[in-house]
Amino acid sequence: MTAPPVFAELAAATNFSFLRGASHPHEMVARAHALGMTGIGIADRNSLAGVVRAHRAWQAVGGQAGSFRLILGARLVFADATPDVIAYPQTRRGWEQLTRLLTLGNRRAAKGECQLFLADLLAHAGDLALVAMDGDAALLGALRAAAPRIWLAATMPRGGSDTRRLAQRMALAERAQVPLIATNDALYAAPGDRPLQDVLTCIREGLTLQTAGRQLAANAERHLKPPAEMARLFRACPAALHATRDLLDGITFTLGELRYEYPREPVPPGWEPQGWLEHLVREGGRSHFPDGLPAAYQRVLDEEFGLIHSRGYACYFLTVHDIVRHARSLDPPILCQGRGSAANSLVCYFLGITPIDPVQERLLFSRFLSTERDEPPDIDVDFEHERREEVIQYIYARHGRERAGIAATVIRYRQRSAIREVGKALGLSEDVTARLSGTVWGSWSSGELPETRLTEAGFDPANPELARLREMVARLLDFPRHLSQHVGGFVLSETRLDELAAIHNAAMPDRTFIEWDKDDLETLGLMKVDVLALGMLTAIRKSFDLLRQHRLADLTLATVPREDPATYAMLCTGDSIGTFQVESRAQIAMLPRLRPRRLYDLVIQVAIVRPGPIQGGMVHPYLRRRNGEEAVDYPGPPGEIESVLDKTLGVPLFQEQAMKLAIVAAGYSPAEADALRRAMATFRNNGTIDQHRLRLVDGMTARGYPLDFAERCFKQIEGFGEYGFPESHAQAFAWLAYVSSWLKCHYPAAFTCALLNSQPMGFYAPAQLVRDAAEHGVEVRPIDINASHWDNHLEAERVLRLGLRQIGGFREDWAGKMVAARAAGRFAGLEDLARRASLPARALQLLADADALGSLGTNRREAGWDAQRIVPVQLPLFAAAQAGELRAEAAPALPAMPLCEEVVADYQTQRLSLKGHPMQFLRAGLAASGVLDCAAVNAARDGARVRAAGVVLVRQRPGTGKAIFITIEDETGVVNALLWASELERQRSAVMGARLMVIEGEVQRSKEGVVHLMAQRIIDRTALLDRLTAAEPARPSRPRGHPRQVRVIPKSRDFH
Amino acid sequence: MTNAVSAKRRYLALWFPFLSAERLRIEEPDCPTLTPAPPPDAPLALIIKVKGALRLAAVDARAAALGLAPGLTLADARARQPGLIAAPFDPAADRAWLARMVRCCARWTPLAALALPDGITLDITGAEHLFGGEAGLAAEVEDTCTAIGMSCRLALAATAEAAQALARHAAAQPLTDEAAAIRALPVTALGLDPAALLALRRAGLTRIGDLAARPAASLAARFGAEAVTALRRLIGEEQAPLVPLAAAAPLRFRRRFAEPLTHQGALAHHFADLLHEAAGVLEERRLGGRCFSLALLRSDGARHRLDIETGQPCRDPQLVLRLFDERIAALADPLDPGFGYDGMVLAVPRAEPLAASQPGLDGSARDATELAELIDRLSTRLGPGSLRRLAPQDSHIPEQAQRALPAIDAPAPACWPALPPGEPPLRPLFLLDPPQPVEVLAEVPDGPPHRFRWQRKLHEVRLYEGPERIAPEWWRRRGGEYPGQAGLTRDYYRIEDAAGRRYWIFRHGLYEECSGPKWYLHGLFA
Repeated sequence: MTAPPVFAELAAATNFSFLRGASHPHEMVARAHALGMTGIGIADRNSLAGVVRAHRAWQAVGGQAGSFRLILGARLVFADATPDVIAYPQTRRGWEQLTRLLTLGNRRAAKGECQLFLADLLAHAGDLALVAMDGDAALLGALRAAAPRIWLAATMPRGGSDTRRLAQRMALAERAQVPLIATNDALYAAPGDRPLQDVLTCIREGLTLQTAGRQLAANAERHLKPPAEMARLFRACPAALHATRDLLDGITFTLGELRYEYPREPVPPGWEPQGWLEHLVREGGRSHFPDGLPAAYQRVLDEEFGLIHSRGYACYFLTVHDIVRHARSLDPPILCQGRGSAANSLVCYFLGITPIDPVQERLLFSRFLSTERDEPPDIDVDFEHERREEVIQYIYARHGRERAGIAATVIRYRQRSAIREVGKALGLSEDVTARLSGTVWGSWSSGELPETRLTEAGFDPANPELARLREMVARLLDFPRHLSQHVGGFVLSETRLDELAAIHNAAMPDRTFIEWDKDDLETLGLMKVDVLALGMLTAIRKSFDLLRQHRLADLTLATVPREDPATYAMLCTGDSIGTFQVESRAQIAMLPRLRPRRLYDLVIQVAIVRPGPIQGGMVHPYLRRRNGEEAVDYPGPPGEIESVLDKTLGVPLFQEQAMKLAIVAAGYSPAEADALRRAMATFRNNGTIDQHRLRLVDGMTARGYPLDFAERCFKQIEGFGEYGFPESHAQAFAWLAYVSSWLKCHYPAAFTCALLNSQPMGFYAPAQLVRDAAEHGVEVRPIDINASHWDNHLEAERVLRLGLRQIGGFREDWAGKMVAARAAGRFAGLEDLARRASLPARALQLLADADALGSLGTNRREAGWDAQRIVPVQLPLFAAAQAGELRAEAAPALPAMPLCEEVVADYQTQRLSLKGHPMQFLRAGLAASGVLDCAAVNAARDGARVRAAGVVLVRQRPGTGKAIFITIEDETGVVNALLWASELERQRSAVMGARLMVIEGEVQRSKEGVVHLMAQRIIDRTALLDRLTAAEPARPSRPRGHPRQVRVIPKSRDFH
Repeated sequence: MTNAVSAKRRYLALWFPFLSAERLRIEEPDCPTLTPAPPPDAPLALIIKVKGALRLAAVDARAAALGLAPGLTLADARARQPGLIAAPFDPAADRAWLARMVRCCARWTPLAALALPDGITLDITGAEHLFGGEAGLAAEVEDTCTAIGMSCRLALAATAEAAQALARHAAAQPLTDEAAAIRALPVTALGLDPAALLALRRAGLTRIGDLAARPAASLAARFGAEAVTALRRLIGEEQAPLVPLAAAAPLRFRRRFAEPLTHQGALAHHFADLLHEAAGVLEERRLGGRCFSLALLRSDGARHRLDIETGQPCRDPQLVLRLFDERIAALADPLDPGFGYDGMVLAVPRAEPLAASQPGLDGSARDATELAELIDRLSTRLGPGSLRRLAPQDSHIPEQAQRALPAIDAPAPACWPALPPGEPPLRPLFLLDPPQPVEVLAEVPDGPPHRFRWQRKLHEVRLYEGPERIAPEWWRRRGGEYPGQAGLTRDYYRIEDAAGRRYWIFRHGLYEECSGPKWYLHGLFA
């Protein structure tokens, strides 16, 4: 008997060789291990993006402790016709060389490409083991001179002349004194992956399977082959097999060796980072507690200090502190607020990173930063969205571009993109794929394309083409498509970042990102600071500025009066348009039921309308208990989960609680619970979910929990997988929700003004914001050339003047010129304005159409007619004259503009009107046919059958999609209607197409006073809108595109 | 129409509101694109990709009645009407269709013009009385259009622009007071850009009459002189000549002889003359003939017809003459002039674009043309089906990798896969169709054959190379994407027997795929 053959596949590509490799890194590693290889070498095309995933899979099969080896490198593909070379770093130094080499190639090329030349490799090969996939003696000679160890690859691809080629290779190897190494140049794990690889080839080359011909592989041979099979193929050259062991043996490097040094924050001389951090925190603590820290605080603080010290995280906290400090030191300062697991610490509170007092709110820092889970701390800091770039530039400037980089986001194939691309490869028409890819309404969340969708779209699910599409889409799902930059996750390092990971150019100029995403960073223990943009912070800052400017109040985020009863009273009535987080349709309906009375209620309010609690069926139990209709009890063994759930009346609402339940009630270890969370978030369709379901539900029932409770807990965890929402985030958001509500309650004009000046953001369009302000006693004045600035501004505490920015298509520099010219006196007319502010014709037309000449007494119609004529280009000869050049024209004698047309023109130019609502002009006709206005509907008794009409603001089909929400608006208010999805099919055209609809249904009034109209019939009355304009277009010949001008009312916000 | 003068012209405008959709329904009655056959009364839309989104470019009457209008995205349209059928919008085909309809209008008037994108204008001045007056003519035109399945709206007016505008925008038909109807038209009828239209509407000027009442200078100052011209043409103050679509004259050339000719030389002389004349016309139109047809008219009424085809468009008289000579030489019955021919007609029924060309000074471009001429001559002599040429096809499957096509129709040969220098050919030139079963003794599982029996004769394999493994095209089989259902993989071997003869044989199926794979001989190496 001979010893079993020894072989390791050392040229394995994964799907991070985008559109070439057809298996995930973990599949390659697991398959190689299962086949009994001694190891595997992962080498993707000019990329190390998949190596961390491979590393993780390797740890799952034993890692360092096992005998199975994993080596990580890259397949270098050159721009100068040099054959591919696979490079494996032998040591940490080799890793540096490889990442710097790839960075060099990436930085040279456009985003997503890498431009390498042989000379680059020769200059960086000092500690690399190289495998030339092809080449002549000259190349091998050059490589051998540059690198310590090199091999020449030999493959047996079943091409017909393999034996002859192997002999040629052997001769070449002999001549060049380079050993041969056997490989199968694998692109996928198992032969069954060939169809997917063919589809990927088609996607890459833009071909269809029918036309791709010989661009596809001839056979399915490029999978991982067992050592025995490789030995049989290479029986003429067994040495090539042994070479794989030689190569493996020479490599000591593993990813675990990446000793990452978090940058040392500069601390004053004589201080250590830990000491300096503690000093800063104590200083901060003194400002909160001038009379000394209470004992409870001291205890938490000591615990946190101990943890930070033992893990060496002092510098991380100092960095975040530095960024926040810098943002606040600017003039004007940038508002910011931290959130995330580590942000809810006393340290962060005392450093001013977050306004949440964790002791008072009973948030346990150590729970999120435990020593068991070897996980770096995570702090997200939100900044004003318009000024985040300044913060980013500061980080670059402070740490240097070599030491600071943004993390990557792996863009993956999702249902829609997968259907589109696979459909194209299968030769289906774009129309068919568009029909399938969920454009009809709502996409399904996970798993296979459901059969119902096919039948809904009018296809026969038994059709083999469609069956093939479904199968291939399911296989392609979750494949990485390309890398992109993370929205704001910064990785900082003491040493050069390009010695740690390869760096890519981003699409934005001057932006670079490193190749790994947040999961990879977490696996390697690299720390990341998230610098995020938040529109509401901009709006809040602008509100504070306005209050200060008008000497109404001088506030900061931390000094807004807390627990203000008037604010909560306002929220309890569902009056929250414009506020942060609690303004959506579902939130407005929830507010009167939950009736928030203190900040922690808002924390729950923010967290409860989320997929987790909704899918887990936790919303109603919580509401019942809160309203005292149900006793608070804790299922399972007494006292076991009380501490977990006591803040939320025994109902799990937050992600942390769900995870903690898995640990306490189902017997998970913290690390396993973390794996559970990860499984829910990432691998949604590989069967692990069912295992977890069994384990969690069985675990809980075995320990005495009711089956129903266990099932719901699992569903909730599933929901969190889709959209994780921990309490630490809810805390931070709740504070902003409170601050915005406080502003809305006490200074509605300033708040609305700030919101308008921060657009686009939030849930509501300017029209609704302005209307809401008017309903709260704010006088809103129209745009005027003699009064408006670019921004909206306050003319008094409760007087808001609309700004020129509300005019669609107007430009800030035009506004600047107008304001500058106005310093010398009011404009006397359009021509005067044109000359003094030297505005182009387009600007004048926009101003005239927006009816901005009211202060001159010129009406919109005449102004518009004049503006058409003015040619503001001044010839130099006439410029000196400064006189009107236009020949006087007889008075135009245009017909007067009816009010309804004025309103329509307002909507067309500014998307809002102060003069009226389009519906009021239709009221008489509607009332005659028995249609109620919205106010009357909202006042109707429960169960009344009514008809309401209005323009459509929002159509929504949330989550499970059993109901469709429609919000309509008229001059008296809004009505929220609800249509069961089963009713949709019969009235689809009206539901989806109408911009003005009549809804027939039954009023449903909850005991909290929330009114819904349960729609039974929906009638499309869009044609009525056309009557508002005198213009004809009952039968427009053929409008091209979608100019906003053809719409009377801006498009509703639909969520397909 | 009080002061009718002789210069007064009358125009009939046709507008096809659903041109694209109805054209498609007529030309391709069984609408393609969809897997299950759509119900016959389903609405139809033609779609076009605008900035990455599919949008409706045109709709049919049913879709329009359901509220779908051009400009809507396909997604929105589908959301409202899931049963909507969509087909690609093809403006070129629409235009060609419209041009054909214009030519058909020659039966009513020679002055027929396109009114793009979806209308036709006829100058019917002086022609209407032939059809029972304007109303009679209009009725006949409408009936004709309806009969072929095109909905249309018609209008009569004193200018082409006014007629088109009335057809497209007027509310009611038929007209009583033409001038009033024009004045009641919406300003859209002017055909200005959307910004100008919006400005007019904002100014409260919605009807043509509102504009006509204003000083022209105030319009010109705002919307340019073109707007004024358009307005004047609409209200009949200005005439623009109609540019009729000229029909291309058919390519027919004839000679009548004063007395019947029997002498071949004289006939050949006249034929050469005809060919020169044809060449001149073809060159003028930048065309070359792909098919020439000569009809000889015998004095007793008999007709002899000779056709030739060429592989490439051509108009060189010498070349065509030579092909006719081949054709005549190949005739089974020689032409019998009898008492002589008194006329001949040369027609070119098929012509394709051919740019005017200038031969290179060194004659280097001749090689390719010589081959083409040879193909033409042989095809003419032997019949087009007899001369074939191999065309490479892009496939791994050997029998699909090449096809024999009639040489005269086959395109210029694409590139054959090139062999690396110094390599023997991997495949035989010709394959056996179908492959012939052979009995083989071979190593299990995928070793080479040792000996095989073909046509009852045993061959010892002396040399072999292989296997070349070719997997089946999984996407052609139902369920082929699942392992084991794709079909059988082939292992091809090139082998040489003891007598030095070389064969190409394959094992049909791997041992993983079937239990006892069969062997076949697929070709012989030369």
